[in-house]
Amino acid sequence: MAEKDQRIPQQTTDFHSPEKNDSKGVWFVAEHKDGKLEKPAFLLAGECKSLATKLGEETVAIIMGHQIKDLAAEFAPYGINKAFVIEDNRLEKYTGDTYVDALAQVVSLNKPSIILFATTPMGNDLAPRLAARLRVGLISRYTEIEVDKDKKLTARRPIHGGKAQATVSLLRKPLVATLDPQLLTLLKSKEIEEPQVTECKVNIDSKNNRTRLIDYLKADPCAVCVSEAEIVIGVGKGLACAENLKPIEELARILGASVGGSRRATDERWIVDERRIGLTGKTIAPKLYLICGISGAFHHTLSIKGSQLMVAINTDRNAPIAKMADLVLVGDMQQIIPELTKQLREVMKPTN
Amino acid sequence: MKIIVCIKQVPDPTIVKFNIETGTLDNIRYILDPVDEIALSEAIKIRERDWGKVTAVSLGPPRAEEVLRTALKMGVDEAIHLCDEAFDNLDVYSTSIVLAKLIATRQYDLILCGRESIDEGTGFLGAGIAEWLNLPLVTAVTRLDIFADTKTARVHRRLKGGDREILECQLPAVFTVESVLRKPVYPPLKTILAGLKKSITKIDAKSLGIDVRSIEPAMAVVGISQPKPRLKKTATIDSKLSAHERMKLLMSGGTQQKGSKTVEKTPQAAAADLIQFLIINGIISKQE
Repeated sequence: MAEKDQRIPQQTTDFHSPEKNDSKGVWFVAEHKDGKLEKPAFLLAGECKSLATKLGEETVAIIMGHQIKDLAAEFAPYGINKAFVIEDNRLEKYTGDTYVDALAQVVSLNKPSIILFATTPMGNDLAPRLAARLRVGLISRYTEIEVDKDKKLTARRPIHGGKAQATVSLLRKPLVATLDPQLLTLLKSKEIEEPQVTECKVNIDSKNNRTRLIDYLKADPCAVCVSEAEIVIGVGKGLACAENLKPIEELARILGASVGGSRRATDERWIVDERRIGLTGKTIAPKLYLICGISGAFHHTLSIKGSQLMVAINTDRNAPIAKMADLVLVGDMQQIIPELTKQLREVMKPTN
Repeated sequence: MKIIVCIKQVPDPTIVKFNIETGTLDNIRYILDPVDEIALSEAIKIRERDWGKVTAVSLGPPRAEEVLRTALKMGVDEAIHLCDEAFDNLDVYSTSIVLAKLIATRQYDLILCGRESIDEGTGFLGAGIAEWLNLPLVTAVTRLDIFADTKTARVHRRLKGGDREILECQLPAVFTVESVLRKPVYPPLKTILAGLKKSITKIDAKSLGIDVRSIEPAMAVVGISQPKPRLKKTATIDSKLSAHERMKLLMSGGTQQKGSKTVEKTPQAAAADLIQFLIINGIISKQE
């Protein structure tokens, strides 16, 4: 039994004791895909920069992966001082065990004061692992970090489903935190300067990787659950009859969207119950929500607040939905949708 | 299969309210965290197929007994309540250490917990336990296949936009589950009645052999406050709000009111406008 619990911290190691206040630097982990940095990375860069300015410390981008040396240059317009590149062919695909091994080594060596992650599938997995490895706490989904006169950090984060807000202070450094990049705006700095690139050597023991990646299942965007989809088309009473769903489905295929419906649409059996959006159905938070013929009753709009962009197509310009939508097309959806499909097919191709 | 499920009693987030006057939470009704209910259900389903034992563990004040009773009624074999005055107000870091201490004294093949609790939502517990016990960890599990003969698990992990990755690992392991994993089990009356009779094992700090003061907490909640609304914008004269709604908005201090644009054109022109809007916002890109 003794060996089983040997890793349970009895006394916190002096990894970063508050007395030894030698930790410096605001770090963030930049995610990339197919040899390109992703948007959350640039959004985090801005947040990182503003925190670093308050603390008077330098900003460091952490780039992990395989064949990624050139990515750091992309941070030039964001005022990032340094980039730590952790290059290894075993880091080509994300696996929690190897990534946390590599990252913890670099962190222990350089002792940053803050490490930021985006709330992506990778950030949500890696941040708690790193916090545990470093024997520090974790602040998830924070909305604000405050720096007081003594450069002490406190973070605010929503709790109880956003009903209240907690102010949390971390008792040990570094501060490991995640935040939703969607809440940030892109901040570019005035001068363009390429970050100074440091290649970090890490020892990776592939025996430490205890999870094997077997396969990757790419979802069909039209078939995924509306609550997970990035683009959602919602239909309501304005659909009028089941036959009118055909053009909607065609549009969904081109946009890569998942089709859902209001209570009315599911009650009429135009849309299956599993795809109902609203108080009695699913809550959605897509990048784009295209609202076709839904007037926007309270029961529906409650569940769509997380949408980043809302476009409403409605015959009534004064429908409640028009107050929420970013763009309102006044007109008959039966006429606009086929036209939209036609024009989309001509000029565009979907990116995501 | 010996399965340990870590569960938590949380205030029902749908009805809880923040009281500005007292600065505390009001209208608290304690429930079993819905995602833990899914974890328990999965554990019970695995036991139905592969035999074994399901143990539910909860750390909390005396009232946390209720959720352990709920777990017993769902059909778990054993319920352990880590209850001690010393455990009050532990942060999630310390909680994970106490739970790991307990789990280390038991036999297990599988440790399940929710990916993040519905109240605090830190998402640390699973990673903490896995680290302290040196176990493999998979987070955000949407499907769990256990192969009892080879002691391996094949799991689906949730990624962006409905994508999944399939991972395989040896047992024992820690999995943090998503609520889409399965539907909660509805136990038959016989199981519920049996669950009412079973006893809950209470373990305090002393019998666990842990000195809570030796654990240095990693974080401290300084206080809770009313959530601050983001982006305060007041409605402009040309917004589509009625006078009554505009007044309401001003009285509440202003809420986020997005600048919306209305297009009243022919279908062709309207569609073109929409496409332009989608390009500007980076939803679609022009074909080269």
